[in-house]
Formats: sequence, structure tokens, C-alpha cells
Amino acid sequence: MSSKIAYVFSCLFVIIAHGGMLLNVFFNGNYSSINNVIILSAAVLLLDAAYFTAMLFFRQTTYAIDFLMILLLNMSIIFQSCFGGVRLSVKHYITCIVALAACRVGYILCRNHKWLQQQKKYFYIGIGILMVVIVTLTGSRNMWISLGPITIQPSEFIKPLFILACATSIAEQQKKHKILFFHVVYENFALFGLMAMIFLLQWWCRDLGSLPTFVAIYACGFLLRICYPKAKFSKKKLVGAGVILLIVAIVGIKFAPGYVQDRLHVDIWSDPSGDGYQQSRALIGIANGGWFGKGPGYGDLHNVFAHENDIVFATISEEWGLLYSLMMIFVILIIIMIPLINPPRSYFHGTVATGICAAFAVQMGLNIFGSCNMIPFTGVTIPFISSGGSSLMVSGFMTGMLIACQSPVFKQPKPPKKIKKTASQVNYPPQYRRESY
Amino acid sequence: MSTLNLILCAVAAASLDICALVLLLTAYHERSAGKKRWDRMTSFMELADYNVSYPLGCDEILIGRHASADIRLPDLSVSRYHALMTVSNGIWTITDMGSKSGIFVNGNLVKSVQLRENDVIKLGNRRLIFRRKGGC
Repeated sequence: MSSKIAYVFSCLFVIIAHGGMLLNVFFNGNYSSINNVIILSAAVLLLDAAYFTAMLFFRQTTYAIDFLMILLLNMSIIFQSCFGGVRLSVKHYITCIVALAACRVGYILCRNHKWLQQQKKYFYIGIGILMVVIVTLTGSRNMWISLGPITIQPSEFIKPLFILACATSIAEQQKKHKILFFHVVYENFALFGLMAMIFLLQWWCRDLGSLPTFVAIYACGFLLRICYPKAKFSKKKLVGAGVILLIVAIVGIKFAPGYVQDRLHVDIWSDPSGDGYQQSRALIGIANGGWFGKGPGYGDLHNVFAHENDIVFATISEEWGLLYSLMMIFVILIIIMIPLINPPRSYFHGTVATGICAAFAVQMGLNIFGSCNMIPFTGVTIPFISSGGSSLMVSGFMTGMLIACQSPVFKQPKPPKKIKKTASQVNYPPQYRRESY
Repeated sequence: MSTLNLILCAVAAASLDICALVLLLTAYHERSAGKKRWDRMTSFMELADYNVSYPLGCDEILIGRHASADIRLPDLSVSRYHALMTVSNGIWTITDMGSKSGIFVNGNLVKSVQLRENDVIKLGNRRLIFRRKGGC
């Protein structure tokens, strides 16, 4: 730990922030029995203490993201436990623990980019397998797999793999091959093909909501590949790529299928009980909540479908107030800002951090602006806050990757094991070699 | 909502606000710790010209004449993308990027070589010294 004082103060203030929320639940919350509040408080504080202890077992350069993540996850546990009356949401609690474990896994896996570079083919294979799973196991109208009480969204798991595929390609920019009159990098074609396949898959599943997230990751990776010094990309190509992207976006919106056009041009107030039901109720909920909210558990939005993920910003605003919701967003923004404060030390980790931050920012923007009817409603989750196992687990894993970008190692991976040589085959160093006469 | 409840809401919001501020300060504090750790990982080395020292702040440092190079040497004898310095296990390596004039380390023409303290690197007409930070 770089500074014990910083660690102690950070722990203390995270507990104070959760304590303040729990105090608010105790005095203003809608609960039938005080036991519900005690159980919730004990669960939150126990998770805080457990994670603070677990952090000590990992040698990292920075811990700010860890503190921010546990702050957000426990906030989400309190929020989710208060919707429609205070009681601990056990399912969400377990999901958050899984997300914390996924964060540790992400951190351990992504520290050494030279090792990751060797595993590049597995990212493509992983994405391919997930795509096959989506095509075969989910229907053409959704992207979910139901396994009894658990539902999994395989498309979420493509995100970190896609980020890693984008990041590992950055070192290949130097390896140009001449085809006719053009110098091309094969990896760039592979990534473009991958992006096109993701687009087609989402089109087929009629779930274009998370497409902007993938486009943002791809765009960030593309821009960083251009900025990579050894890429030798010209500004003209950059401007050309921007213009092509703009034209594709305009054509895409113009010729989008009917169900997308409906979402783009829906007037929620002319049909408040039909297509505009969720958004109109969300806006009314935000207005009802005001600055300080109705009180935890007193909101009405818990009766609306997908109140805990698609319109979670509005549900929190109604119960806790707009001020609190905005500060929650501010905390997520701080996580996104951390790579700017402590910049990564390699282009690989820079690309990973940019991809993750872009994914978080786009997801957050889609959810909040969608709830407020500023953009078409997509149903994308807010990282760490919305319920949903796949989303939370992947958010946790990506946060682990972000932490790895802050505490990287620069070591050559061990060479692959060779077949043991016999004594006569061993190449001894020169000083031990015996010359044969 | 009564005044007391409003105050409690404000207290909860304020505590979150202060917590976010403290964590932001922690991140700034850790920035210097990260810099020190990076210096340790890179064996406290830097490149130095006559009066200028170039910090090695990244695991891949591109040296060349081009504006996008990490260490820019505005000299026509230096290629636009001349050499690449990489670090691994605390050891720095310099590799020729296909330059016209090549890389000379301590007078020897090299394609790729591990650098040691006080090695003199000649890129075109420019001489750089690979030395410990703060050295002269």
C-alpha cells in the first residue's frame, strides 16, 4: 500500500458515505420491520470490510478505482434493496460479490500485456464461440439464455474480449503488407470484420441497444491505432475515416428497420401508455422526486417494467432525489477520469483503458439520456448500478482491467517448456563446455 | 418531508460528495507513487542530449524526426522513425526501425541491443547518452 494514511482515510470515507445512506434509509425509508434495515446495514458494512481486507493481499500501485468500485457497488445494493420497500436484495448482493471477484480476475489476467499479446488468438476464438452461442441458443428476437432462475446475456461477455482484441492489435501497426498500391495491416481488417459481425449479430437479434457501446470501443481503438507513432497514419486518412463514419451513420438512420425508426421518432406524451410508457413514467418519477427524493422505498416506479435496470436512473432519482443521482453519476465519471490522472505506461494499456472508459461512458449516457427522452430508449444498463448478473460481472471484470492498466508489469513471458534434453544434447555455457580433441 | 428528514438527505448527499473528493485526492496522491514505481521498473534511466534530458515515461519510446515520435530529434540526419526503445524486466533495448544511417552504440553499428548505463547512442549526427536520472 503506497500510503497507509490514504488507505485508512479512503476506507473511512467510503464507510461514512454508506453510513450516511443507511441513516437516510433508517429515518426516511419505507420498511415494515427494523430488522430489514439492520440486515441491509450489516450486509453493506460487511462487504465493505471484506473488500478492504482483500485489497491488502494484492500489490497494486493505485487503489483509488477499488475504493470507487466498492463505493458504487454498495450504493447499488442499497438502492436496489430499497425499490418498493426496504429489504436486502439477496440476488443483487450475490451478483455484486461475483462482480468483485470478476474484478480481481480481470486485474490478474491483464497486468502483463506481453503475455496477453501471445494469447491474442484466444480473444478472437472466444468472440467467435460467444457469437455461435448467441446464434444457436438465443432466439432471433433476444440475446438472453435462460438457465432456470438465472438468465445470461452472452453478448455482454463479448465487450472485454473485443477491447482486448482492439488493444492487442496496436502493436501490429508496424507490420504492413503491400497489396497492389496499398500498405495494409491485416489485423485492422480482422477487427473491422469482427465489428461487422457484431453489427450483423445484433441486427439479427433485433437488439441494437448495445451497438453504440461496441462502436465506441472500436472507434477508440481505431483512433489510437492512428495515433500510434509507428502506424504512420496520415491526417487525410483520419479525416476520410471520420467522413465515412458520418455517412454510414446518416445512411443507417435513414434506412433503419421499422422498429428502430419507431424508437427514433416516438412521441412519448402522445402515447404515454404504449410505446412511451417507460419514458413518460420515468420523467414523471424524476419530477416527483425533486432534489431530495420521496424517500427510500416510497417511489412508484418499482411498478414499471425494468425499473431496476433500464430506467434505474429515474427510479433512484424518484426515491433518493436528483442531487443524489447526479452525484452517483459523478462517482462513475471519476472512475472514467482515473486513467487521465494516472496515465497508463504502454500503448496497450492506454488502448484498454480508453476502450473501457468509452464503454462505461456510452452505456451511462444511453441509459440516462434514454430515460430522460433525450435520445431513443435503448435499455442499456448503467455500469455498477443497474441490476443484471452478466452486466455487473462484465463491469467488474472491465474495472479489473482498468486497475491492471494502473499497476502493470513489464516482464517477458516465460518461454514455452521444451522437451527435456539428454545430457549429450544440453548446450552448456561456453565456460563449462569441454572441447573434444 | 420534514426539515429533519431533509437535513438527513443533505447529510447523506454531502457524505457521498466528500467521499468522492477524498478518493479523487487519493488518486492524485497515488499518481506520485505510480511515478516512483515506474522509475524503479525502468531502473531510473533517461536519455540525455547536451543540455536536454528525455524522460522514458512509456514502455515503448519512438525516437525520430517525425512530430509523432516520443523523442523528437529535429535533425535531417535522423530518420523520421529511427529507433524504438523498449523495456522489459527492467532492461532497456534499442532497435533500429529501418533507418537510413543506422544506430551506433558505443561506436558499433547495431540492429538491436540491450542498453547499459552510460552507453553512447549515435543516431545520425546526434549523440544521446543512456544514463541514470539526474546524472551529468
